[in-house]
Amino acid sequence: MPNKRNWVPYLLISPTLIYVLLFFAYPMVRGLLLAIYDDEANLALMQEANLEADLADVIPQSASIEVLGRQGNLVPEEELGENNLLTEIWFRIEAPDVSGGTAEGWASESRIRVREEAEDGTPLMGTVRRRLGSNADPLTSVFAEPNENSEVVGQLEARTEAQIVESITLEVWFLVRGENDGRPVEGWSPSRYIQIFEDEITGRVDRGNAGEFTTKYIEKMMNDRFFWPAIRSTALLLLIIIPTQFVLAVVMALVIQAQLKFNSFILYIFAIPLGVSELAVGILWFAIFTQNGLLNSFLQTVGFIDTPSAWLTADSRNWILVAIWLAEVWRATSIVMVIVVSGLQAISSEVLEAAELFGANLWQRLRYVILPLLRPSLQVALILRTILAFQVFAVVIALSGGDVVTVLANETYRQYFDLRNSNVAAAYAVLILIISMFTAVIYLRAIRTQEEAAAT
Amino acid sequence: MSNENLPQVAPEVLAVHQKMIRRQKRQRGFVYALAIAICLWITVPIFFIFSMAFTTQETVRAYPKGFLPFIPFSTETMRFFLNSEGIIPGLINSILVAIITLVLSTLIAAPAGYAISRYIFPGRNFFRLSILAVRAFPIVVLSIPLAVMFIQLGFFDNIYSLSLMHTALTLPTTVLVLSSVFASVPYELEEAAQVFGCTPTQAFRQVVFPLVLPGIAASAIFTFVMSWNEVFAASILTIQNRTLPAQVLSSLSNSSEAYQFAGGFFMLIPSLIFMFFIRKYLFNMWGQVSK
Repeated sequence: MPNKRNWVPYLLISPTLIYVLLFFAYPMVRGLLLAIYDDEANLALMQEANLEADLADVIPQSASIEVLGRQGNLVPEEELGENNLLTEIWFRIEAPDVSGGTAEGWASESRIRVREEAEDGTPLMGTVRRRLGSNADPLTSVFAEPNENSEVVGQLEARTEAQIVESITLEVWFLVRGENDGRPVEGWSPSRYIQIFEDEITGRVDRGNAGEFTTKYIEKMMNDRFFWPAIRSTALLLLIIIPTQFVLAVVMALVIQAQLKFNSFILYIFAIPLGVSELAVGILWFAIFTQNGLLNSFLQTVGFIDTPSAWLTADSRNWILVAIWLAEVWRATSIVMVIVVSGLQAISSEVLEAAELFGANLWQRLRYVILPLLRPSLQVALILRTILAFQVFAVVIALSGGDVVTVLANETYRQYFDLRNSNVAAAYAVLILIISMFTAVIYLRAIRTQEEAAAT
Repeated sequence: MSNENLPQVAPEVLAVHQKMIRRQKRQRGFVYALAIAICLWITVPIFFIFSMAFTTQETVRAYPKGFLPFIPFSTETMRFFLNSEGIIPGLINSILVAIITLVLSTLIAAPAGYAISRYIFPGRNFFRLSILAVRAFPIVVLSIPLAVMFIQLGFFDNIYSLSLMHTALTLPTTVLVLSSVFASVPYELEEAAQVFGCTPTQAFRQVVFPLVLPGIAASAIFTFVMSWNEVFAASILTIQNRTLPAQVLSSLSNSSEAYQFAGGFFMLIPSLIFMFFIRKYLFNMWGQVSK
């Protein structure tokens, strides 16, 4: 191997690094935040109707509010589609002023009625609307900026014709007052976060834009009625699946190592489950255990039973566990076997021959020679299998419908898919992550000892 | 078996030798029996579901059920499954997602695998360990935040976001597998080619590439199978454009046994085919991955 200290290897690994950062590291951080951070817990209230303004205070989501004032503000075009966005259009106009000169400035669509439009819909000309009501100011103000709080640059009479130079769409901001923890708060917020009731002076905070750390999702997860059953079944399945798998995998590996005739064919058969999807395996074993499936057909034909017995119902929870156990052993033993065979291939044949020469029988060779030498491979396989065992999901759904027996991965799916609660789903995911990380640390440590052993 | 025949004295060596041969024969027979038993354990369920997938719907409903030579062979069940709603689009989606994943994952991982196997550079071990760590993380953990991320970007329920996701899942394995594939070609060969006047690029293209091609193909097939089989992320990320496993999963609870059994068999066809071609590479691939 050339010892080149140059930039080439970094260039070569950079696509992988970037991909892993983008689609692995970042989502991991997001996932963690989803579980413990509520994005929309609070609504930020600004001191002025402007996103760049200083923060006045925050108000919790769904708090009742009182509307004190309103003002338009520029909104980026791509945000116009947001929910609950309240907009108003302002025109820059040129029109004869009451004083005889020409007023140039801004007026809102509530004051100008568009009379002429270009073919593409751009307004060209309009007239000033009449004010209704006897005590209203008959004149319409023209402002220096598209904002009713800005300087008045002119006054127009009703029905005056005005040239429309430009029009812009503004989002309405509200000056609101409400309570946060019994403390009165006041400030400006864009319309999209607020729901105004019909009386136009009261409303509520519809959604928040400022987050807050929270344990509510974790609490919700732990109080879920499926939480403890899921933990228990996951642990129980882990305990019964993994030892069986290891015994069977070692046996399978020894069969492969024995180099029988048709070894290549046997290897093919042994390897098939490695490439079969979890769901297919679930269906496979469902076909066996279902009431009129293979098992009952066989038992009835042989004469053990007279009527088909129900294995996969809510009353036969233990049989469902047995079915999941067999399905998982069927599916995931192959991968352990492959790892064990790789480990066996590393054991020199001289050691085995010597053991045989000295009269050790098969069991003795296995117990005192092969298994100790296989320990590193077995450790790695053990940890890999433990991590993968937390992902068992489709097998459980196929065999139990996901209710009678449930596991952590299934609960994640239920929370996300059926209950549409991605935060609680993320809490489950984080729980699985923590358990897996704990295992992965041991996994990596096992590798290190293995590498150290190889180095010495 | 006993220890009585430990080779102690010279005159007994012949007898011991004969005993050993006899014992080996007996053991061989035992191992054959084991091999057959395990093969049956694996193939009987597959054969049963195959029988159910290729018979009439009436036979599927019948009880007690039989195996194929004893029940009528028919493509009726399989046709019923394939004609069910969403199966053909799901099949197309599954194949497209698996192909995009395979291409992306191989293209991104090959340079990294080459770098790990050919260069010693500061950070190499860290990179390798990180890839191993990433490989060990559960799909479930990654799916939820990625789904939320894609939904916020308005980029979900299509084959592309799912392919990106599957690539994230398969990439670490592919990197490790490809690095062991490259490591199996001695650097000396590449060096020799350069001595004989090849540029490094030529040496790679004309010497290394033909040698690693079968290994890369095996790894690509494995990536294809991993993506084809993946059901959790697919169910979470797609709603209308489901892949085949996601479609079958979502209609599992309200479908007939004919549908379920035919679907179950259909989904394991790729494994039946592909494992035949890549079985010899498995130890190479997973030996490295597990280290």
